[in-house]
Amino acid sequence: MAINQPSDDLPLADVLRAANGLTTAGLIEDWALGGALAAIYYVEPFTTYDADIFFTLKGKDLAAGIPAIYAHLQSQGWQVEHEHLLIRGFPVQFPAANGLTEEAVREAERIDYEGVPAKVFRAEHIIAIAASVGRAKDKSRIELLLQQADLDKTYLENLLQRHKLKLPTP
Amino acid sequence: MKPEMRQKLAREPFAEKIRKVAQLIRLAKTFPRRPRLAPTQRKAG
Repeated sequence: MAINQPSDDLPLADVLRAANGLTTAGLIEDWALGGALAAIYYVEPFTTYDADIFFTLKGKDLAAGIPAIYAHLQSQGWQVEHEHLLIRGFPVQFPAANGLTEEAVREAERIDYEGVPAKVFRAEHIIAIAASVGRAKDKSRIELLLQQADLDKTYLENLLQRHKLKLPTP
Repeated sequence: MKPEMRQKLAREPFAEKIRKVAQLIRLAKTFPRRPRLAPTQRKAG
Protein backbone atom coordinates (compact mmCIF):
# COMPACT_ATOMS: atom_id res chain seq x y z
CA MET A 1 0.00 0.00 0.00
CA ALA A 2 1.34 3.48 -0.88
CA ILE A 3 2.41 5.47 2.17
CA ASN A 4 -0.12 8.24 1.48
CA GLN A 5 -3.02 5.80 0.95
CA PRO A 6 -5.51 6.34 3.82
CA SER A 7 -5.95 3.29 6.02
CA ASP A 8 -8.60 2.15 8.51
CA ASP A 9 -5.83 0.77 10.70
CA LEU A 10 -3.59 2.91 12.86
CA PRO A 11 -0.26 2.81 10.98
CA LEU A 12 1.95 2.85 14.08
CA ALA A 13 4.53 0.44 12.62
CA ASP A 14 4.99 2.81 9.65
CA VAL A 15 5.36 5.78 12.02
CA LEU A 16 8.04 4.00 14.07
CA ARG A 17 9.82 2.79 10.93
CA ALA A 18 9.90 6.36 9.62
CA ALA A 19 11.33 7.62 12.94
CA ASN A 20 14.08 5.00 12.68
CA GLY A 21 14.65 6.22 9.11
CA LEU A 22 15.26 9.76 10.41
CA THR A 23 17.96 8.40 12.73
CA THR A 24 19.55 6.35 9.92
CA ALA A 25 19.54 9.43 7.66
CA GLY A 26 21.42 11.32 10.41
CA LEU A 27 18.65 13.91 10.75
CA ILE A 28 17.95 13.18 14.41
CA GLU A 29 20.00 11.71 17.20
CA ASP A 30 17.34 9.81 19.11
CA TRP A 31 13.57 9.61 19.44
CA ALA A 32 10.77 8.02 21.45
CA LEU A 33 7.01 7.67 21.26
CA GLY A 34 5.31 9.98 23.75
CA GLY A 35 1.80 11.37 24.27
CA ALA A 36 -1.41 9.35 24.35
CA LEU A 37 -0.08 6.38 22.38
CA ALA A 38 2.81 6.01 24.82
CA ALA A 39 0.31 6.06 27.70
CA ILE A 40 -1.71 3.32 25.95
CA TYR A 41 1.39 1.12 26.08
CA TYR A 42 0.75 0.96 29.86
CA VAL A 43 -3.03 1.39 30.22
CA GLU A 44 -6.34 0.44 28.61
CA PRO A 45 -6.90 1.71 25.04
CA PHE A 46 -8.67 5.06 24.59
CA THR A 47 -9.39 7.33 21.64
CA THR A 48 -6.58 9.48 20.35
CA TYR A 49 -6.19 11.14 16.99
CA ASP A 50 -2.45 11.52 16.56
CA ALA A 51 0.98 10.19 17.45
CA ASP A 52 3.78 12.18 19.07
CA ILE A 53 7.37 11.34 18.20
CA PHE A 54 9.71 13.36 20.43
CA PHE A 55 13.21 13.69 19.03
CA THR A 56 16.64 15.01 19.93
CA LEU A 57 19.04 16.50 17.40
CA LYS A 58 22.75 15.87 17.06
CA GLY A 59 23.43 19.60 16.98
CA LYS A 60 21.09 22.07 18.62
CA ASP A 61 20.12 23.83 15.40
CA LEU A 62 16.34 23.36 15.43
CA ALA A 63 15.90 26.02 12.74
CA ALA A 64 17.76 23.79 10.27
CA GLY A 65 16.77 20.42 11.76
CA ILE A 66 12.97 20.64 11.62
CA PRO A 67 12.67 21.66 7.93
CA ALA A 68 15.10 18.83 7.06
CA ILE A 69 12.87 16.32 8.89
CA TYR A 70 9.76 17.58 7.09
CA ALA A 71 11.54 17.52 3.70
CA HIS A 72 12.79 13.98 4.29
CA LEU A 73 9.36 12.65 5.28
CA GLN A 74 7.64 14.47 2.41
CA SER A 75 10.13 12.87 0.01
CA GLN A 76 8.94 9.51 1.43
CA GLY A 77 5.32 10.35 0.57
CA TRP A 78 4.15 11.91 3.84
CA GLN A 79 1.73 14.80 3.55
CA VAL A 80 1.71 18.02 5.56
CA GLU A 81 -1.48 19.32 7.19
CA HIS A 82 -1.07 22.27 9.56
CA GLU A 83 1.34 21.21 12.34
CA HIS A 84 0.96 17.51 11.52
CA LEU A 85 2.59 15.19 9.06
CA LEU A 86 0.19 12.59 7.73
CA ILE A 87 0.99 8.96 7.08
CA ARG A 88 -1.87 6.96 5.53
CA GLY A 89 -4.15 9.79 6.71
CA PHE A 90 -2.99 9.47 10.33
CA PRO A 91 -1.56 12.67 11.87
CA VAL A 92 1.87 12.57 13.52
CA GLN A 93 3.61 15.39 15.38
CA PHE A 94 7.37 15.60 15.75
CA PRO A 95 8.03 17.83 18.79
CA ALA A 96 11.67 18.61 19.57
CA ALA A 97 12.47 17.25 23.02
CA ASN A 98 13.91 19.53 25.69
CA GLY A 99 14.29 19.42 29.46
CA LEU A 100 11.91 16.83 30.86
CA THR A 101 10.97 15.39 27.44
CA GLU A 102 14.66 15.16 26.47
CA GLU A 103 15.25 13.08 29.60
CA ALA A 104 12.15 11.01 28.70
CA VAL A 105 13.64 10.25 25.26
CA ARG A 106 17.02 9.32 26.79
CA GLU A 107 15.51 6.99 29.40
CA ALA A 108 12.68 5.57 27.26
CA GLU A 109 11.88 1.88 27.26
CA ARG A 110 13.05 -0.14 24.26
CA ILE A 111 10.27 -2.17 22.66
CA ASP A 112 9.62 -4.19 19.55
CA TYR A 113 6.40 -3.25 17.78
CA GLU A 114 5.42 -5.71 15.05
CA GLY A 115 9.09 -6.29 14.23
CA VAL A 116 10.04 -2.59 14.38
CA PRO A 117 12.51 -1.58 17.12
CA ALA A 118 11.19 1.47 18.94
CA LYS A 119 11.36 3.45 22.16
CA VAL A 120 8.41 4.50 24.29
CA PHE A 121 8.41 6.97 27.19
CA ARG A 122 8.48 5.35 30.63
CA ALA A 123 5.13 5.56 32.46
CA GLU A 124 6.79 7.68 35.17
CA HIS A 125 7.89 10.26 32.57
CA ILE A 126 4.40 10.36 31.03
CA ILE A 127 3.02 11.15 34.50
CA ALA A 128 5.64 13.85 35.12
CA ILE A 129 5.04 15.46 31.70
CA ALA A 130 1.25 15.39 32.28
CA ALA A 131 1.77 16.99 35.72
CA SER A 132 3.85 19.74 34.11
CA VAL A 133 1.16 20.46 31.47
CA GLY A 134 -1.87 20.17 33.75
CA ARG A 135 -4.83 20.17 31.33
CA ALA A 136 -7.98 18.18 32.24
CA LYS A 137 -6.92 15.36 29.91
CA ASP A 138 -3.47 15.27 31.55
CA LYS A 139 -5.10 14.83 34.96
CA SER A 140 -7.19 11.93 33.61
CA ARG A 141 -4.04 10.41 32.10
CA ILE A 142 -2.23 10.60 35.44
CA GLU A 143 -5.15 8.96 37.22
CA LEU A 144 -5.30 6.14 34.65
CA LEU A 145 -1.54 5.50 34.86
CA LEU A 146 -1.61 5.51 38.67
CA GLN A 147 -4.45 2.96 38.58
CA GLN A 148 -3.26 0.64 35.82
CA ALA A 149 0.50 0.92 35.14
CA ASP A 150 3.24 -0.93 37.02
CA LEU A 151 5.11 2.07 38.32
CA ASP A 152 8.49 2.38 39.98
CA LYS A 153 7.30 4.64 42.82
CA THR A 154 10.83 5.59 43.92
CA TYR A 155 11.79 6.54 40.35
CA LEU A 156 8.56 8.60 40.02
CA GLU A 157 9.05 10.44 43.33
CA ASN A 158 12.65 11.24 42.43
CA LEU A 159 11.61 12.44 38.96
CA LEU A 160 8.85 14.70 40.32
CA GLN A 161 11.19 16.09 42.97
CA ARG A 162 14.03 16.83 40.51
CA HIS A 163 11.66 18.70 38.18
CA LYS A 164 9.78 20.39 41.05
CA LEU A 165 6.47 18.85 40.03
CA LYS A 166 3.49 17.76 42.10
CA LEU A 167 0.72 15.33 41.22
CA PRO A 168 -2.72 16.95 41.06
CA THR A 169 -4.92 16.34 44.08
CA PRO A 170 -7.91 14.10 43.24
CA MET B 1 -16.78 -1.12 33.09
CA LYS B 2 -15.47 -3.06 36.08
CA PRO B 3 -11.93 -2.19 37.24
CA GLU B 4 -10.81 -5.84 36.73
CA MET B 5 -11.96 -5.72 33.10
CA ARG B 6 -10.15 -2.41 32.55
CA GLN B 7 -7.01 -3.84 34.12
CA LYS B 8 -7.28 -6.85 31.80
CA LEU B 9 -7.47 -4.50 28.80
CA ALA B 10 -4.43 -2.62 30.08
CA ARG B 11 -2.46 -5.90 30.16
CA GLU B 12 -3.19 -6.79 26.52
CA PRO B 13 -0.30 -6.72 24.02
CA PHE B 14 0.44 -3.22 22.70
CA ALA B 15 -0.39 -4.18 19.09
CA GLU B 16 -3.81 -5.45 20.19
CA LYS B 17 -4.47 -2.22 22.10
CA ILE B 18 -3.50 -0.19 19.01
CA ARG B 19 -6.03 -2.20 16.96
CA LYS B 20 -8.67 -1.26 19.55
CA VAL B 21 -7.68 2.42 19.34
CA ALA B 22 -8.22 2.25 15.55
CA GLN B 23 -11.69 0.77 16.21
CA LEU B 24 -12.47 3.56 18.69
CA ILE B 25 -11.41 6.18 16.11
CA ARG B 26 -13.67 4.58 13.48
CA LEU B 27 -16.59 4.52 15.94
CA ALA B 28 -16.04 8.15 16.92
CA LYS B 29 -16.07 9.14 13.24
CA THR B 30 -19.23 7.12 12.57
CA PHE B 31 -21.05 8.37 15.66
CA PRO B 32 -19.68 11.85 16.41
CA ARG B 33 -20.65 13.35 19.76
CA ARG B 34 -23.27 16.03 19.50
CA PRO B 35 -22.79 19.05 21.72
CA ARG B 36 -25.15 19.07 24.73
CA LEU B 37 -27.92 21.61 24.49
CA ALA B 38 -28.44 24.08 27.30
CA PRO B 39 -31.90 23.75 29.02
CA THR B 40 -33.09 26.98 27.34
CA GLN B 41 -32.08 25.66 23.90
CA ARG B 42 -33.89 22.35 24.61
CA LYS B 43 -37.13 24.22 25.35
CA ALA B 44 -36.82 26.27 22.21
CA GLY B 45 -35.91 23.20 20.09
